[in-house]
Amino acid sequence: MSLLRYSAWRVTQALPVLVGIIAITFFLANQIPGDPVEIMLGPTPAQEQVEAIQAKYGLDRPAHERFITYLTGVATGDLGTSIYYDRPVLEMIILRLPVTLVLMLSAFAFAIITAIPLGVISAKRRNEPADHVSRIVSLIGVSTPSFWIGLVLIIVFAFHLGWFPARGLVLPWADPADVRGAATRFEVLRQAAHHLFLPMIALGTLQMAQITRIERSSMVDSLQGEYVKLARAYGVPESTIVRKHAFQVAQLPVITIVGLGLSTALGGAVLTETVFEIQGMGRLIITAINNQDYELIMGTTFMFGVAYVVGVIITDIAYAYLDPRVTYGDE
Amino acid sequence: MTEPLLSVENLKTQFFTEDGTVRAVDGISFDVHEGEIVGLVGESGAGKSVATSSILRLVESPGEVVDGEITFKGETLFGLEEGPDGEPQPSEEMLSEEEMRDDIRGNEIAIIFQDPMESLNPVFTVGGQLREFIELNRDLSTKEAEQEAIDMLREVGIPDPENRYDEYPHQFSGGMRQRVLIAMALACQPDLIIADEPTTALDVTVEGQILELVEELQEKYGTAFIWVTHDMSVVAEICDRVNVMYLGEIIEQADVDDLFYDTKHPYTQALLDSMPRPDETVEELNPIKGVMPEAINPPSGCRFHSRCPEAREVCTRVHPEPRTVAEGAVADADAPTEAAVADAATDDGERPHTVACVKYDAFDVGYDSSEPLETEATGGFSAGLTDTGGEADD
Repeated sequence: MSLLRYSAWRVTQALPVLVGIIAITFFLANQIPGDPVEIMLGPTPAQEQVEAIQAKYGLDRPAHERFITYLTGVATGDLGTSIYYDRPVLEMIILRLPVTLVLMLSAFAFAIITAIPLGVISAKRRNEPADHVSRIVSLIGVSTPSFWIGLVLIIVFAFHLGWFPARGLVLPWADPADVRGAATRFEVLRQAAHHLFLPMIALGTLQMAQITRIERSSMVDSLQGEYVKLARAYGVPESTIVRKHAFQVAQLPVITIVGLGLSTALGGAVLTETVFEIQGMGRLIITAINNQDYELIMGTTFMFGVAYVVGVIITDIAYAYLDPRVTYGDE
Repeated sequence: MTEPLLSVENLKTQFFTEDGTVRAVDGISFDVHEGEIVGLVGESGAGKSVATSSILRLVESPGEVVDGEITFKGETLFGLEEGPDGEPQPSEEMLSEEEMRDDIRGNEIAIIFQDPMESLNPVFTVGGQLREFIELNRDLSTKEAEQEAIDMLREVGIPDPENRYDEYPHQFSGGMRQRVLIAMALACQPDLIIADEPTTALDVTVEGQILELVEELQEKYGTAFIWVTHDMSVVAEICDRVNVMYLGEIIEQADVDDLFYDTKHPYTQALLDSMPRPDETVEELNPIKGVMPEAINPPSGCRFHSRCPEAREVCTRVHPEPRTVAEGAVADADAPTEAAVADAATDDGERPHTVACVKYDAFDVGYDSSEPLETEATGGFSAGLTDTGGEADD
């Protein structure tokens, strides 16, 4: 099976998972005590008003019927209408998703760019001072919650030093006319980077620490491999051994961690967005839950599910691509 | 007789561990001449592999080559001289790490490791790995190196080498991988190949095929080999000259026929007795009693005395250096080994049979008048895996 067919097959396999996610979220959301209509209309609404709104959002029909309607909707790209915002859920997601994606991608870029050299140096200089420093940094990184890091960063770099803004985010592709104090595209980009810096570190630190740890232990293993000894015995320069022979084998476990990290980072994004007051998916899901906005809860959770599944699929495909021993499941 | 290709003199490699200094290789000397296969035999832990990595200066920390001299084709791979502070320091002639890497490893001395399953990198194609090492060690373009790799794969008996070139190690069987590693070593056109137990991980039929292949290729290319093994039958099959190691020392050194038919050292004898032979019928094999003591705290005197069936009291006191003992050879009791070797190796090309055992007259330390010693081998201790460490301290 070719890599392309393997990828297609993995995507197909993911469909039942997504249906499962929808089903569980749907019934869980319906079990939350309280009523969105009550939240909308206050504690003592008129009966006609309640019925009108229930009819509008289809809440007067039994759950299983609504579930079927919802599923068909999802299949045709309709995620329903948000009760709270009174706008299509999909529209809300399209508005917010890029914000979260920018935050996550920059956090991962930060994590990978710092973690891989750190882990490699750590492994190469095992039990030397550089290794100890990198291990302590990564230990602190994995054991500190991202919201706390975010708060500390705000207090130090935004409040006391005033180097970075404490809240909000500017999207790099925003129209310069919409961004305060930015006249050109370059200005927008500068502001985007400026705003992104602290949340990126808050969200990326945990990933960075985890990747460093895995990178280190994996490199330590592969540097002791027989193939590394063989390469040395054939006069391969040490730098080539580290960069090529040991490195490539060592990346396999790292890829797994990065792939799984995508899902934990989503959770982290919810907290980070709250701390930095960023209007992304994380804030959207919190608003949805607070207002018992069924459609929005399901829509956002579904998107998180999709992101998780995509993360896993990317991991699998990367693995199959990098490790010749992984067969494409045709045995 | 011509200059040896490789000459190892009094090589000492030690590992500095928390429990103390492990004298893994403790003053061994041997030569390898052009085109011959020299065996390095001994039990696990005798220091065979450490000796070979010392030759390439690839001993990993906490290990270190601490003494001795290794010369290869006139180049000093390792050598010490007295520094200004009286401490030994690397001699001026000793090759730098860069010279070792660029000029010696791979292109002059290649190595074949024990475990073919682990020696190839799982994420690169077999051909790619071969090509990389060929390119690195020979002045060939990528295209030429690729062709050479394919030719070499064919040479070592891998069918359909053009297609196998692009396959990954996991698609090869153990025997095939070992063939790849042999191809790798030969393709770099070295003068010496160190084969570190290359057939130990293979099953016997495959081992036979590999030995046959090596003999055939050795004849064709004239490459010298150091063949590290614990298997006396492999030694008998392919070696020209044999060094028997015990606890970091070479205790017997002889041409292969002399070693088998005129065995001198009790340890060598014991090794041979513990192996079934097609030319001798025995009721029961006679394994060597006990286990080899730790090299961290070797027994006093002769290191083998704790397991030796012929041990006497003098063996616990006198540490024998190898001396020439074979009949006809110059056996000057007082002359150091090197001199004896030089004398004996002059005209006819016959090399001496040296042994490190005080029971021979060449040593003259009163073995005959000494009291026999009770050891595990003589029945004084219960046979089996008893700890010989305590006894070694006596």
